[in-house]
Amino acid sequence: MKRGTIIACICFLFLFFTVNLHAAVKNPDTFILANYGNLRTLDPCVAYDVTSSQRLWNIYEPLIFFDGSHTDKFKPLLATEVPTLENGGISADGKTYTFTIRKGVKFHEGGDLTPEDVVYSFKRNMIADPDGGPMWMLLEALTGEGSTRDKDGKIIEGIFDTIDKCVEGKGDKVIFHLPRPYPPLLGILSYSSSVIMDKEWAISKGCWDGDIKNGAKYNNPAPGHEPLLKIANGTNAYRMKNWEPNKEFVFERFDGYWGPKPKLKIAIVKYVKEWSTRKLMLQNGDADRVRVDIQYVPEVKAMKGLTLYEVPLLSVTAAFFCQKINPTGNPNIGSGKLDGNGIPPDFFSDINVRKAFLHAFDRETYKKDVFNGLVIMPTSPNVEGLAYHKDVPVYEFDLEKSKKYMKEAWGGTVWEKGFKMIITHNTGNEMREAAALMLAENIMSLNPKFKIEVRNVEWKDYLVKYRNFEFPLFLIGWGADYADPHNFMYTFMHSRGVYGRYMAYQNEEVDRLCDAGIQTIDPKKREEIYHRLQDLWYTEAIAVPLYQQIVVRAYRDWVKGYVPNAMLTDANELLMDIWKE
Amino acid sequence: MHAFVIRRFLLLVFVLFGVSVLIFGILMTFSPERRAAAYVTTPQQAKDIPRLIQQFGLDDPFYIQYVRWMREIFRGNMGWSLVAARPVGEAFWRYLPVTLEMNLFAAPIVIIFGIWLGTVSGIHRDTWIDHGTRIFAIVGWSLPTFLFALVLLMVFYGYFQLFSPGVLSDKLTMFILDNPETFKRFTGMYTIDGMLNGRLDIALDGLRHLVLPVLTYVIVVVALNMRVMRSGMIEELSKDYVITARAKGADKKTIHIKHARRNALLPVVTVAGQLVALSMEGSVSVEVVFNRQGIGWWLAESATQLDMPVLMCICLFMGIVFVITNLTLDILYAYIDPRIRLT
Repeated sequence: MKRGTIIACICFLFLFFTVNLHAAVKNPDTFILANYGNLRTLDPCVAYDVTSSQRLWNIYEPLIFFDGSHTDKFKPLLATEVPTLENGGISADGKTYTFTIRKGVKFHEGGDLTPEDVVYSFKRNMIADPDGGPMWMLLEALTGEGSTRDKDGKIIEGIFDTIDKCVEGKGDKVIFHLPRPYPPLLGILSYSSSVIMDKEWAISKGCWDGDIKNGAKYNNPAPGHEPLLKIANGTNAYRMKNWEPNKEFVFERFDGYWGPKPKLKIAIVKYVKEWSTRKLMLQNGDADRVRVDIQYVPEVKAMKGLTLYEVPLLSVTAAFFCQKINPTGNPNIGSGKLDGNGIPPDFFSDINVRKAFLHAFDRETYKKDVFNGLVIMPTSPNVEGLAYHKDVPVYEFDLEKSKKYMKEAWGGTVWEKGFKMIITHNTGNEMREAAALMLAENIMSLNPKFKIEVRNVEWKDYLVKYRNFEFPLFLIGWGADYADPHNFMYTFMHSRGVYGRYMAYQNEEVDRLCDAGIQTIDPKKREEIYHRLQDLWYTEAIAVPLYQQIVVRAYRDWVKGYVPNAMLTDANELLMDIWKE
Repeated sequence: MHAFVIRRFLLLVFVLFGVSVLIFGILMTFSPERRAAAYVTTPQQAKDIPRLIQQFGLDDPFYIQYVRWMREIFRGNMGWSLVAARPVGEAFWRYLPVTLEMNLFAAPIVIIFGIWLGTVSGIHRDTWIDHGTRIFAIVGWSLPTFLFALVLLMVFYGYFQLFSPGVLSDKLTMFILDNPETFKRFTGMYTIDGMLNGRLDIALDGLRHLVLPVLTYVIVVVALNMRVMRSGMIEELSKDYVITARAKGADKKTIHIKHARRNALLPVVTVAGQLVALSMEGSVSVEVVFNRQGIGWWLAESATQLDMPVLMCICLFMGIVFVITNLTLDILYAYIDPRIRLT
């Protein structure tokens, strides 16, 4: 009996071993990416995160797309050429864009691409315009409104008629009519919300029926009720084979693709949350690329058989001074007065306080200790890689200067009485935590009466609270929606920008320049505008620019063809470009 | 007996009502902004928070929101899971088989192995066997599951390249995707479905992916069962009826197995029942490390992202599981100890 059991055990183990040995043969036609991005939807009008964009960009195609590493140069995809002023595709006043639509393109489900599909796709996505979605970009450019609804959620009168008129098809051409020049339009047309779908197919799946009078019926679908949530039918080289939420997403090569045949047959994006598991998968060759968070970069650098790419992203994180803090029941400002036990709500409205904080941030140490040097230290929100970028002066780390400004702040009261406040960062973000601690410690070293506590707040709470003006100093980042300075400078500096508003920062010249920048098409004039804005960022000491991240992409060395692009974050992978050998 | 069972099931309604009010009440302590923020991931999207509150009536009074939610539940709509990007009901049936499959293999091992180890340890009290099993139990019980799972993964997968994480190898996954007509998903568990479809390779591959998760779970959990069994055995073996049986010349096997072990089983049944019920929640660490997206993983993700419909669903599910487990245990007690009568 005992002998039988032992033999059975040996057979069992042998079976396991042999099965595994066979499974170890790697398939050269299959690419596996181990990642942990949560895919929410496949509907282009809803998808507004890097994970969803990755799926959409590989299944669908926009009219144009980023050309190689360029974020401001484009190549034609479903259009036959990129419109320019020179080829007449863009009118002299910058208000009309004309695209000729490529012929002989097939959708995965068999339909043929027509200009009508292109017109329908743009109109449908703008009509749907769900809350929290990406459609504000196209709406702002094509209708002049950032939404189809007003602040109370009511549909803006006549908005659907405006949408109807802003895109039209003429023969083999599609023409966009803009209410005013909008220089970033080509970048927006490359985004995943500008991909083209088959009109008949979309209508059959419950999307907008094509009648503009029925627009309201299809407006703002509730999360999870968008018709194209789980299904996709694009023209790109890959089609969706399977999507198991939070497990894996499988792409399959589309043999009817109009362009060059891609080399990979199958691509699988696996959801693997735990870093150790991802690392072992990469090491064993069970993953061809894994997502590497910044703290694990030294580990992958020590691994063999990998090719690493360092890609700077078009994103920037800063510490923002709120100049009108909400005092109601707010523990972050203590007593709410300048009595040594708190700070007044307008504490940071004094530029001396802001400058003192800026001089207390040790950029070099931060770069070295937190990022091992693998970061770009920005000088303004117009980061490297964006047009009209220039390095403006920075407030160098100098505690003597910091002390000087603190003594001048609030007529000397700050220095005399001291203050107490809380700096918050979102939980789990070690880079921001380190910046908050550095600022707190350096400021506290100036005067024993200065007391700063650093606390972490869960990300969703953080999003709510900074918008309630609860944080005296909030640390937050911004990733590019499109590669244009407007997307950053307006956000960070304009009194109605996402961060400008919640800093309660107001400067008429800044607002005027931001508004002018987006309406100017002459590159030289734009350059002047954005250079001036960057100078003002320095002189006004608006916030502490912290970091522009560089991500490390770790591929097995048998993967070839990857082309870095700052607009495509590490969640992205353009399958068309890569192969294994 | 029948009346007892019916009464218990009627009790289930009240338990579920209580659980739902309690959990709903706890979640209502979060502000409407915070609950609306669950639908938002980036600063770009945050501008729509006020509109989301309005759209879903998140600032309505508690009772209105509760009634609205209950009405939807009775219509079969358990809500939308942000984490799973699916309706909660659909997502639940996707994640449950993953947890269930692990429990299917882990639970019998935990129970049988625990009882056997506890029995041996109790019989051989204060011998090297007893010391060995006790050390094993203490080590197992005090091991952080996450760490232990990582160590196993690093040794077996990282070093020996055995037992890869996940639920099935890519090749077989592709086969199933390519042959939806040939391979039917009856239970969602690859080991069972593989056998039902006559595909032993799939069943074995599923089993191979279960080795490390089950091993982790068993070693960590078996200790409790073993300790309870050992204490029970020691207590029973010191009772008068055992001495009488020995005096009458009964053989050791009869005394240990027929008399002492049976009586020592009662507390073990309770503990094992609770362990099995708890395991239906899934083991977060095991599921995360071995990349098995089951109920435990889903619950943990939903808790951190405040995915309310999922939290409500899993709490209700656990309520049902515990009521049924307790009912089963009561029936088992009556079977093990005939003196207990169910009235």
